[in-house]
This record gives sequence, structure tokens and C-alpha cells, in this order.
Amino acid sequence: MKRVFAIGGLAVAMTMGLAWGGAASAACGKVTIAEMNWASAQAAANIDLFILKNGYGCDVETVPGDTVPTMTSMTEKGEPDIAPELWLNSIKPQIAKAVKEGRIEVASEVLDNPGINAGESWFIPKYMVDKNPELATLAGVLANPQLFKDPEDPSKGRFIGCPAGWACQINNENMFKARDMAAKGWNLVDPGSGAALAGAIAKAVNRGEAVFAYYWAPTALLSKYAMHRLDLGKHDAVEYGKCTSVKDCPNPKPNSYAVSEINTVVSTAFAKKANDAYSYLKARSFGPKEFGDILIYMNENKAGGEEAAEYFLKKYPQVWSKWVPADVAAKVKAAL
Amino acid sequence: METWLLEFPQMSQDALRAIKRGIDKGYLSFSRTYGADIEAVFEPVLYFLVWFEKLLLNAPWWLIILVIVGITWFAARRWTLVLGVAAALLLIGYFGMWENTMRTMAMILVCTLLAILIGIPIGILMSRSDRTQSTVLPVLDVMQTMPSFVYLIPVVMLLGIGKVPGLLAVVIYAIPPVIRLTNLGIRLVDREVLEAGDAFGTSKWQKLYDIQIPLAMPTIMAGINQTIMMALAMVVIASMIGVKGLGQPVLQAVTNQYFALGLFNGLAVVALAIIFDRVTQSWGHRMQTYRQGMGDE
Repeated sequence: MKRVFAIGGLAVAMTMGLAWGGAASAACGKVTIAEMNWASAQAAANIDLFILKNGYGCDVETVPGDTVPTMTSMTEKGEPDIAPELWLNSIKPQIAKAVKEGRIEVASEVLDNPGINAGESWFIPKYMVDKNPELATLAGVLANPQLFKDPEDPSKGRFIGCPAGWACQINNENMFKARDMAAKGWNLVDPGSGAALAGAIAKAVNRGEAVFAYYWAPTALLSKYAMHRLDLGKHDAVEYGKCTSVKDCPNPKPNSYAVSEINTVVSTAFAKKANDAYSYLKARSFGPKEFGDILIYMNENKAGGEEAAEYFLKKYPQVWSKWVPADVAAKVKAAL
Repeated sequence: METWLLEFPQMSQDALRAIKRGIDKGYLSFSRTYGADIEAVFEPVLYFLVWFEKLLLNAPWWLIILVIVGITWFAARRWTLVLGVAAALLLIGYFGMWENTMRTMAMILVCTLLAILIGIPIGILMSRSDRTQSTVLPVLDVMQTMPSFVYLIPVVMLLGIGKVPGLLAVVIYAIPPVIRLTNLGIRLVDREVLEAGDAFGTSKWQKLYDIQIPLAMPTIMAGINQTIMMALAMVVIASMIGVKGLGQPVLQAVTNQYFALGLFNGLAVVALAIIFDRVTQSWGHRMQTYRQGMGDE
């Protein structure tokens, strides 16, 4: 008996919720946003939530997500409506197919100029380049292992690669081999974990010491510390698939990482139904400075996505007001 | 009802954040000011670690097996154990894990040595005063239960990645048993034996060296044995801050679900553990029966 009541109650609550939602947002309707489990995507999801809710009157809700499950659910069921930050490199074929079949649409790039501001590369601290301009290029760094002394093997230079077991361990090993770095006086050091890799870089930069390591953007670490991104040359996708990303590839050639494609993806149903909201998402693209600032804020204050969104919307009105028409901007501002 | 009765009256978010921030900032500036000096202090340890690892890596494999088998024979005097140890080492080498096993062994031996050098004097001090005991015991509890990564990342911020922070992590986790059991062993020495010593006019040092430590030796050996076992248990954790050895392939196996790779390297760790355990235990056991035998005759 109790259960019947409970279910009945739930149904009533749901209908009321729907009715109320419908009334409040006739133009936009119910929208679900995937909130991924990493910092930058959580910030993006909550910024979208706030703007869509207060600016466009949508009935928005976030749902937890992760790259592959969210992509699968969007292409198969058209749910959630928005994935604010999807890293496409590893799921390209599926995305291309779903776009062709008209199930999803790629709205925008999350970061301006992703070739420079996003993705994997090799880094050294900027102050080292300022002191010694020769280090600005990869060739210049590789010629100077004595500047990056390995404390456990002082006659060699230390390059900190990628933690054991990660996919990047294989491509770092191959790139290390391809550039003949062992013969040039380098050791490839395995940091063992993501935390230790970040800790090693942070330790060196905090103390003004030398460090040469693999890392990736956008991250709080690279936003917080001024690091110089070394140009690893042209990316050869065929070689990358055939050899650079294959364990124990016998004869790797120098290669670099693919430009990371970090996009906002929406379901076609949402794009058709909520045209205005969709044009906002198409315009939304962060600059590296403010995006980095959000990540630093989250890292230093142990803040979640919601607090990060509030921080961004309050601090950078000149940035986000360009993404929306003036009347929407006024509504968002009023809600802050 | 008052809200503080329903919800825990917790500190305001801002104050909490300010505290966390203050601690983080304070630690960073501490590392900036003293980090280089602290690193210099550990330089000899690092030098010794590197030297010892190179020694084990560069020595011919058969020589190392001979030495280990010799030590086993000396400690246990049992052919079955000697044969088992030789077989385990040969299998490890045959399965291509020789280098990593030598690295892990070097690390574990240096850590154990350090733990003994620091731990036994602390244990002796604890046994001599109840006040020291009551201050050291809670510290040991913290060392054994604090999740390792909580202090590992600060250590990495101070000393970087590699052998020295790995050594610190292992020693912090593995040292409590040798301290506890040294303390316990000395405290368990019969009061009457000590009184007999007093009657013969022994000095404090004579009492310690000639009566208490020898009689406590089996217990202390049990502590050393436990310390070695716990050091081996930390192999994988240490590899998470860049220590080379058997831990790295295990880590790789765990993140990629390489079942066989993980199993082989895990079994190599187990083999090392069994060798260390049996050798130290039978040594302690023999020492005990030897002493008892002397007493009977």
C-alpha cells in the first residue's frame, strides 16, 4: 500500500515538475548537460547551466558523465543534450559517423586556438628560456642535457616521461627513441603516477630549478606555472597510428602529438528545438587566460564546478557577454 | 529546533579555505627556502643507494645467486631452503625480471638497514622510559595508518621524484615493527636476570649489551623480519613516485589489465619476500635454540 502511494506521489511530483518546467521555459524546454569528472569540464558545464537557465529560461539539469559513456548515450539515445567539453581525439570515428547520420552536432571549440593552448607536448620552465634562448627549441634542449641533470645519474640529463601504464608512456618511449635521446645523454624517467609527475614539475618551478617533462593542457598546473611548450614538429597521423602509439615499435620516427580536439557537442534534437541556446553554445569559446584562471581558482580553493562558474561569470563579464545577445546578458547579470 | 542542533555547526567555508590555503602556501615557501638544503642532506643516502644498485646490477648473476645461497646456508643450515631459494632466483632470471628484482632488492636492503639503524636505538630508548614510550607510540600509529600518498606528495614537492622520496616512504611505513618489538623484547627480559646482573655489579651499558639485547634478540629479529615484509609491501607505492623496480611493471599491469605481467612481477615480489622471511626467521630461530642449548649444558 505504502509503495503504491510512493509511486503515485512520485508520478504527481514528476508531472508537476514537467508542467512547471514547461511553463517556465516554453522556448527552450528541458535540457540535460553532461558534467564530466574532471575540473575544466565541470566548470564549463556549470557555466552553461547558469547561462541557459537564467539567460534563456531553459529547465536545465546536469547529469554525471565521462567521455565514452556520454558520447554513446548521445549518439544512441540523444541524451544528454549537451556535452560541454568532449575530447574527440580518441572517439573520432564514432563522432564523425553520428554527425553524418544527423544525430549530433559539433557546436564549437572549447578553447581558442587548440594547437597552442591544448593537448600534449614536452615542456620546460619559461625562466630557463629567458635565461638561455637556445632552449626555446626542442633541438636546443636536446643539445644541453647537462642543464637538466638527473640526480640519480649526474652524467645524464633527465626527461620525465609519462606514468607507467598510461597510453602516453608508449608514445613518449617511442618519441624518446626516435630522437635518439639516450645517445644524446638523456635518461627517460618514469614518474610512476600523475600526481608524482605534477609534483615533480611543481617542485622544480616553485624553486626555480630545471625540469624537462611531458604534460598536457588545459590543466591547472600549466595554467599556474609559466611553462614553455616545445614545438615537437609536424604531426604525422599515419606514422602515429602505425608506430608512435605502438609498444616496442622497432624503428620509430620523430613525430608529435595530434592537436587535441576539445569540442562542445550537442544532440541534433536540442539544436533544432532550442535555436537561440544553440547559437550561444556555437559562440562559446574560452581564451587560454580566463580558462587557465578558472582552473587555478578551482585548484587553489578546492572549488567545484558551481563555484567555478560563479567565479568566472562574475569576473569576466566582458568575455561571456560577447557570446550572447544583450538582453540575455542582462538577464544573466541580474541573476548573479 | 535550533539549526545547530540539526546540522553540525561547521566552520565557515571561507575560513576553512583560508586555513587550507595558508597551509599550502606555508609549505611551498618552506620548500622554497629549505628544500635545496634538505636535498643536500640526503645526498649521501642517494649516493649509497645508487652505488648499491649499480653493484647488484653489474655483478654477474651467478655470483649474486651464490652469495644469496651462501647467506641462506649460513643463516638456516637447511638444504631444502637453500635449494628453494636458488630455484626461485633462477626462475626470476629466466622470466626476464632479473634487473627489476635487483633494483627492488637494493632498495629494500638499504631501507631495512636504515630502519634497523634508526629503529633499534629508538626502541632501546623507549624501553628505558615509560614517558618516551607513551610519546613515541602514537607517532608510530600515525606512521602505520596514514595513507601513504598524503605524505608522499609533500615529500615529492620537497625532494622531487625518485629513490630518496621512495626510501622515505618505505622507511616511514616499515620502521614501526622494529621499534615496537625492540622495546617489547627488552621490556620482557626477566627482572630476576637483571637483578642477578646487578648482584655482579654490572654497569648500565654492560647490562644493556650483555643481558638485555642478547635476551631480547629473538623478539628483535621478529621485528626486523616484519620490517622487511612491510618494506616489500611498499614496493608498488614507491614505484608511484618514480622508483624503478618490480613495482613499475605491476603498476603498468594494473592500469592496463595485463593480467600475466602483473602476476609474474607480483610473484617475483612474493619470492623475494619468502626468501627474506625464511632466512631471517630461521636465523632468529637458530640463535634462540643456540642460546637455550648453551643454557642447558
